[in-house]
Formats: sequence, structure tokens, C-alpha cells
Amino acid sequence: MPGDACHVLVIEDDAETADQLVDCLKSSGYEVDLAVDGEDGLRRALAADYVVMTVDRMLPRIDGIEIIRRLREAGIVTPALILSALGEVDDRVRGLRAGGDDYLVKPFAFREMLARVDALARRSGTMVKETMLRIGDLEIDLLARIVRRRGREIELLPREFRLLAYLARNAGQAVSRTMLLQHVWDLHFDPTTNVIDVYVGRVRRKIDSGQDYPLIHTIRGIGFCLRAPE
Amino acid sequence: MLLSKTVRSSSTLKLAFIYVIAFCAAIFGLLGYVYWSTVTYLYEMSDRAISAESALLTKAYKAGGRDGLVELVNRRLTDGYFNDWLYLLVDHSFDYVAGNVKSWPAALHGNEGWSTLAPGDWQSEAARRLPVRVEHQLLPDGHHLLLGRGIEDLDRFGERVTIGLASAAVLFLILAAAAGISTSRRSVARIEAINATSREIMRSGLGERIPLRGTGDEWDGLAENLNSMLDRIEELVETNRQVSDNVAHDLRTPLTRMRGRLERACHQQLDLSHYRSLVNDTISDLDEILVTFSSLLRISQIEARDRTAAFRDTDLSEIVREVVELFEPAAEEKAVRLQLSASEAVSVIGDRDLLFDAISNLVDNAIEHGGDRGEVRIAVARCADGPVLSIGDRGPGIPIEERNHVLRRFYRLERSRNRPGNGLGLSLVAAVANLHSARIVMADNSPGLKIELHFPPPQRAVPSMSDQQERSWAIGPHRS
Repeated sequence: MPGDACHVLVIEDDAETADQLVDCLKSSGYEVDLAVDGEDGLRRALAADYVVMTVDRMLPRIDGIEIIRRLREAGIVTPALILSALGEVDDRVRGLRAGGDDYLVKPFAFREMLARVDALARRSGTMVKETMLRIGDLEIDLLARIVRRRGREIELLPREFRLLAYLARNAGQAVSRTMLLQHVWDLHFDPTTNVIDVYVGRVRRKIDSGQDYPLIHTIRGIGFCLRAPE
Repeated sequence: MLLSKTVRSSSTLKLAFIYVIAFCAAIFGLLGYVYWSTVTYLYEMSDRAISAESALLTKAYKAGGRDGLVELVNRRLTDGYFNDWLYLLVDHSFDYVAGNVKSWPAALHGNEGWSTLAPGDWQSEAARRLPVRVEHQLLPDGHHLLLGRGIEDLDRFGERVTIGLASAAVLFLILAAAAGISTSRRSVARIEAINATSREIMRSGLGERIPLRGTGDEWDGLAENLNSMLDRIEELVETNRQVSDNVAHDLRTPLTRMRGRLERACHQQLDLSHYRSLVNDTISDLDEILVTFSSLLRISQIEARDRTAAFRDTDLSEIVREVVELFEPAAEEKAVRLQLSASEAVSVIGDRDLLFDAISNLVDNAIEHGGDRGEVRIAVARCADGPVLSIGDRGPGIPIEERNHVLRRFYRLERSRNRPGNGLGLSLVAAVANLHSARIVMADNSPGLKIELHFPPPQRAVPSMSDQQERSWAIGPHRS
């Protein structure tokens, strides 16, 4: 039933892509409704309360951006992930301006898509503004900007702190390099070098070296994940 | 045929003819007026002289009667000055009394006043004097006085003027028509040269150029401009062709690898872990292709200049500091020292994302090619002619003759063919620099390469008004 904490609306007109999207989301535990054109999508989004929706940019009848604009006008704030085959340059800006919450250019890795849906779903949930994050034996005090592991303080540069905090807020979830660049550096392009990996590597050395178990993991093909062992 | 079909249908020729007709009409009008007023004036003067003489004769008649008049007439006939004059005094029955003609003209009846007698009007010895202009006066005692003056000279003069004017007009017409035709011919010939070149280009390709005459006139100017336009188009087409070739090449290699892998997976029995690594390799190859693809698209979009709407007042130093901070770990890993001097804020109107990306590429290159244990100096300065960003490494540098090529898409120096990278980094830098009207300068850092980005001074870089409005709107909340 829509309204559950894990109900996702997929608006996508290409049948195969839609199938793959639905499969991928279902296999990670989401309930999925599919709308195959803009009109249907808008009707469903207006009628039910979804936790996240993915919207194709180019749709028959009603354009993806138009759907989001109308929903926002109607006061519906369901986080929207725009999936677009259009070039990233101006279209990203247009999509986000219309009220989209995140933007992914086709073709994309499904795990990247999933990571972004997860991030939006958490944001949409009744997330308490925590000031203290704890992952395993790692403690992050967001107010005092202090990081401790096993009680010992670890010194981080401001940007390193932001990176760790972002990973910690998304603990247990994969976070892509592009997402990091976007949220930690406020830059909107896809990195073409391994510079982010190297940067994360330095943070990892500060956090993980000499500890019982690693917290920052590299997820092949996607990016990184901060998680404590089960 | 005097005129070719193109000349006959040329608009220049039509225009020339319209001018010729208008010009001739004006000339004819002017000449006609001159003719009319001159000739009328001359006849008037002649009539006036006759009237004056007539007044004198009448006075002599009044003073001395018929004999006084006869005496004056006879005196006149001996005076050479009045040689071309005609005097005839007859009595009431038109019999001769005095004068230099003997008989009364048949064409003239009893009416007083002015007449013009043409040859044939007067069958007598007076015929040699014709044509003549006469005044007929009836005296109180019944005598008729006929006083006249030959106007053959006047008529001849009139004829001469008419012939002169007509020949002038005809000459004008011929000259004007010739000038019109030759002008049209010249311009039609030049246009035809341009047309011929265009047809040749449509038929065989962009190699053709419009011939110049070296006269430096406006036609040569037009031809030169068209030729340099063709040069530019040819250059762009060539670049495009190269890019497509390179894309094809760069895509084919990984595609072939992937195909081979998939074929192997299809035809051979492999264990699960083999399959998995095969799929993973294929995915990373695909990712590589997608990165190349989106880099290309990104460069084209930047080059299409549809990105200036995102221009803001940005601090170049801050961007550079952030880039350096991002690359610090990468530099550490290669034992490269990053030396930054960018203390004061340097304002540049631009797009932060693009500038960051471009500077990242330059720093990345400097670390990559700067050699191990090297040093990369990055500086931002506010110079007299605008902000300058310079990045210098201690690597092998780029040979002078290759410096222009490295900005091209997919161009790679021989020594870096085997390193990872798609040869698009510097093309992106070039596109971003171009979008920001910045100049790229490559210099020898002896040893090493020094790349400088010279930005225009802030006031020159300000885009259109609408952009400025949007910018001030965007900066507003930032400042408050």
C-alpha cells in the first residue's frame, strides 16, 4: 500500500529500462509502482504518498520536468530522482530548478541509482537531526566537529570531516564518487580521474589504520561505503 | 549574341537601364527647354527690330507724307546694313510705289498684322529672300506698307541647334547604355565566379576557393571573406572528421575486447568466478566508453556556448585552493610537492564547476607528467591585463611544435600513448578557457611545462545585461 516507508514510484516509458528499474528496486526491498507515461505518473504521484519517485526526463504526454513542477505546485514534496538521457550540462540545472532533488544521466549503473534512491528515501523519512553519529566504534560529533575512534580523537581537515560525515549519514549505503563530489565539494560533474579515490584513501588511513576492523569500504563499480561489521 | 543570358537577366543591368532612361529624360527636358527659349528669344528680337523700323517709317510718313516715306525707303535701300530687309509700298490697288520687291505677295490679303511667308507663298523676284517675317500696315491714305526681314538664318540656326541637341542626346543614350552594360557585365562576371565556385564546392568538396583579381575592390573583399569562411568551415569539418575517426578508434578497441570476452563466455565452459570477472571487466570497459562519450558531449556543449547563463562572480584563488586541496593526497602518493601561491582573492566571471574541472585537469596532468618527486607550482595573480593562473611542472614538457596540437580532442603525445587517459583533458581545458574568453599560454618551465590561463579583466568579461541581472540576483542572498 502506498504510504509505507518503502514505496517507490517509477515513471519510465521504455519497457526494458522500466523492468530493470523495478527489478533492481524490488530486490533491495522497495515496493514499486510503475507508470509508463507522464499522465499516469502524475495521477499516481498526486493520489498516493510515495517515499521516493524516479522520473524519466522525456515522457509521452507530460514531460518529466513538468510532472515535478506540477507536483511541487500542488504541495507534494516527494523526493524526485530525475533520470535523463539528455546531456548533463544545462538540463541538470533545469531539472533541479523545477524541483527535482537529484539527477542521474543515462546510462547509469543501477547500483548508483539505488544509492541515490536510498539517500533520498532516508531524507524523506522522519529523520531526526542527530548531532552525534555512531558507527561501530567510530563517533562523530557534528556540532563540535570532533571524530573519535575507540575514544581517541582523530584529527581531520575540514573537507575530510565533511566527507566522513556524509559517509556516516549514509552509513551502510553505497555512495558514488559523483555524489561525493556533489555533496562534499558542491561540484556538479562526473570525475574522470581517480582523485576522489586517493582523497578517500587518505581519510581511510586516518580512520582505519591500526584499528580492529576497517570502516570505509570501496565498492567496486560504484564508490564507497561506511559500515561497521555485523 | 551581344549579351549572355546571365547578363540579360542580371538585376544590375535592369538597374542600369532604369538609370539610363531617367538620366536621358532629364537631359532631354533640359535641352528641350534650352532650345525652346533660345529660338523663341531670337524670333522675338527679330520681330522687335521690325516693329522699331516700322515705327520709324510711320513717323517719316506722318512728317513728310507719302513722299517722305518713299524717300526714307529709298534711302534704306542704298544702305548696306538693311540688305536682308524687305520693303514694299503699294497704292490702294496694290500697284508698286517703292521698295526692293515689285509685286504684292499673293498669299497675303488685305489683312494688317504679322505673317511669315514661306517659299511658294510669293511668286516673284522676292522669292530669293524667303522665308521672311513681314508686318503689313495700312496707311491712312490707302497705301499698304509691307516691312519684313529674312529669317532664313534664324531657321537655320534653329535647325543646327536641333541637330546638335539630338546628336548629344543620342550620344548620351549610347554612352549610358554602354556604361550600364559594362558595369553589369563586370559584376555579373564576379558573381558568376562566386557561383561557379559554390557549384564546384557542392560538387566536389570544400577544397575550392574563389579566385581574387588583386584589385582590392569590394568584390575582392567579398571573395576574401567568403574564402576565409570556407577555410574556417573546412577546418571545422576536418576537426570533426578527426574527432569521429578518433571516437571510432577509441570505441572500437574496448568494444572489440568486450565482444571477445562475451564470445568466450558464450562458447566456453567457465566457472562462476570466471564469469563474474568477465562481466566486471566488461562493465568497467563500458564505463570507460561512457566516460569518453560524456566527456566529448560535455566539450561540445561547452563549445556551443550554452553555458554562460551559469556565469557568476567567482574567486579564482578559492577554486584553485580547493583543487589543490583535493589533489594533495594524489600528489603525496607520487611524492610530488604542490606549491600554491594564491593568497588574495582574484575575481573572475565564470562557471565554478567548469573552472574547477578545467583546473583539476591541469593539476592532474602536472602531477601525472611532472615526474616523481617533482614539484608543481600553482599561482594565481592579478596582472595588469587580467587574472592569470599558472601551473608549472618539472616534467619533460611539450615540444614547441606539438603545443597547439595537444589542445585537440584525442591528441596524445607519443610518450603518453600507453598511459591511461583519453586525450580529452586539455580539449576540455581549451573549451572552458574559450568559453571564459581566456587565453592559454604554454611555455618552457626549463625544465618542464608551464601552462598559463590569462583571463580577461573583469569588466571586459561581463556578458550581456540579462546575464548580469541574473548574476546579481544570484549573488544577492550570498552577500547578505
